[in-house]
Amino acid sequence: MCEKQSDLKTNPSHFENPKKTTDTPTHMDLKWDEYKDKIQGFKFFDPHIHMVSRTTDDYQNMAQAGIVAVIEPAFWVGQPRTGLSSFKDYYSSLVGWERFRSSQFGIKHYCTMGLNSREANNERLAEEVMEILPLYVYKEGVVGIGEIGFDDQTELEEKYYRLQLELAKEAKLPVQIHTPHRDKKRGTERSMSIAIEHGLDPSWVIVDHNNEETVKSVLDQGFYAAFTIYPFTKMGNKRMVSIVEQYGAERIMINSSADWGISDPLAIPKTAALMVSRGIPNDVIRKVTYENAIEAFAKSGQIQVSDFELSIPSDPNEKFHGNSVLRGGQLPKWNQNSLYID
Amino acid sequence: MLTSNSAYFYPLLGKHTTEAEMKWLDSIPKDNPNALMTAFVKAPRFLSKTIIQEELKDQNLIPNLPGFQVNNWNLVRLSRVWFLSFLVTLSKNELIEKIETLFDTAELNELVALFSSLSILPYPQVWLPRATDAVRSNMGFVFDAIALHNPFPYHEFPELAWNQLVLKTIFNEKPIQMIYGLSQRKNQNLAISLISFVKERWSAGRDVPPEIWQLMVPYLSEGELYLVETLFKSRREEDVIAASLICSQSELKSFQLLLTKHPKFQEEIQNGKWDWSKLGNNH
Ligand SMILES: [Zn+2]
Repeated sequence: MCEKQSDLKTNPSHFENPKKTTDTPTHMDLKWDEYKDKIQGFKFFDPHIHMVSRTTDDYQNMAQAGIVAVIEPAFWVGQPRTGLSSFKDYYSSLVGWERFRSSQFGIKHYCTMGLNSREANNERLAEEVMEILPLYVYKEGVVGIGEIGFDDQTELEEKYYRLQLELAKEAKLPVQIHTPHRDKKRGTERSMSIAIEHGLDPSWVIVDHNNEETVKSVLDQGFYAAFTIYPFTKMGNKRMVSIVEQYGAERIMINSSADWGISDPLAIPKTAALMVSRGIPNDVIRKVTYENAIEAFAKSGQIQVSDFELSIPSDPNEKFHGNSVLRGGQLPKWNQNSLYID
Repeated sequence: MLTSNSAYFYPLLGKHTTEAEMKWLDSIPKDNPNALMTAFVKAPRFLSKTIIQEELKDQNLIPNLPGFQVNNWNLVRLSRVWFLSFLVTLSKNELIEKIETLFDTAELNELVALFSSLSILPYPQVWLPRATDAVRSNMGFVFDAIALHNPFPYHEFPELAWNQLVLKTIFNEKPIQMIYGLSQRKNQNLAISLISFVKERWSAGRDVPPEIWQLMVPYLSEGELYLVETLFKSRREEDVIAASLICSQSELKSFQLLLTKHPKFQEEIQNGKWDWSKLGNNH
């Protein structure tokens, strides 16, 4: 059952409705061959990306562009789920199949677990989900509770947001907050004050999808401010550069939030390349595209930097544990530019 | 009441843990199934992923369970299987309920531990559908956990499922030598599938792993002599060795005659230089 007809009509990505904007495109028209030199030697960490919606081509391009690790927040899948089993299968895929798929490309895959705000409005199902959620939050590689927070800012959204903040406290996990598209500023303030009311340390909370209107208050109160670089939305990477120029690198991180909508899994490397060409110092770029995300989510105790920081096994045929068992069941294709498919 | 194999794990755990890690392992109440299940899930929060490597590679950890070996497991996997070993004292229904819950909510490494533990759990018929399903998994680590160095399929899989396991190992280009009980469970149907696999591969201009021929030897008839002749013409020496081994083990005159045309390998096989274990990617 669909609870809200409007969802079906607009079918936006979870981040922003692309129809409303008339902004000019946000990405410079640089081909990979042109911008790869700018980001030579950089490693990137995307703390918000929905890989279940992406293809192996994306994984391949991401690995090639220097993305070594990602966090996949649990979210809505584009249409409402009708039963608990769909949630279970989705959560299992975040710690199972998707994690494996990612490993084939040498990308370390983490996730955050939570009941998203849209589906918090289906109370019957939400109750059931809250019962099984504790089974998942303690799992290996679960680096936070997320993405949770407000969408329409209903009472039910608030109820399950609060319950999940308590779960985060109990499990000693950071919280990844999704801020609403509509009435963003008020929704963001409300999310933060509720988190503080529940006694969460703001340095354990990552407030996501910020813009110029929300960033100051988020940083002033001691939270992490994440920015989503998403094509055709109000936060493009040119303006991201200005934000970093104005606010510095402390507690700021960039993500792609790439999902099933028109989005860009290479948002971070592209923004980094833009920052390089705009003269932002390398250590600042490293902080907002890599270090700060690790610093924030490593509080979960679930991030081993050595898992992705050492030389990355980019060869999918690499042997593991000293025996000849291949790393994966599938062999990724290599040369996409070749006419021959062997 | 069933007795647990847990005692066999304990000295090994002691050897590969730090003091703090051992203290955590000891702190879990082994008579409390829910505590064991939580510990199973939480293990990576308290334990390192130290790889267990023992001097004696083929030694069985549990004397009455040949083929169950923990070499190259990490400490988390070993500890998880150890936790599960305490559950065998539960009633059948309780045990099934606990294990099914763990399976239904498992992440990748938990699945690996669960499939690794199947042969120390009672009621193998209950786990059989999950085990045969694991062979269908596209997650390499899950497939490996059931297919390689695991005695469960050898003892429990019906022929069709066994053959699928072997074929999928070959398709995935993994070493069949790591399948426990491989040569004991050779069978005609498997050989027929493999013969057509060879033909398909050759038509596509591809090679087959030379070690797979050992599974076909007793079932090759005069009609397949030409396959062995083709194998002798391969540019890869390992194929020629495989062809020589086939002929040396065949009871058919025509095969034996073929080998006399390759006296070098005939002699080397007689001198013990070559056997199936020396072929393929088993290093
Ligand atoms: Zn998201």
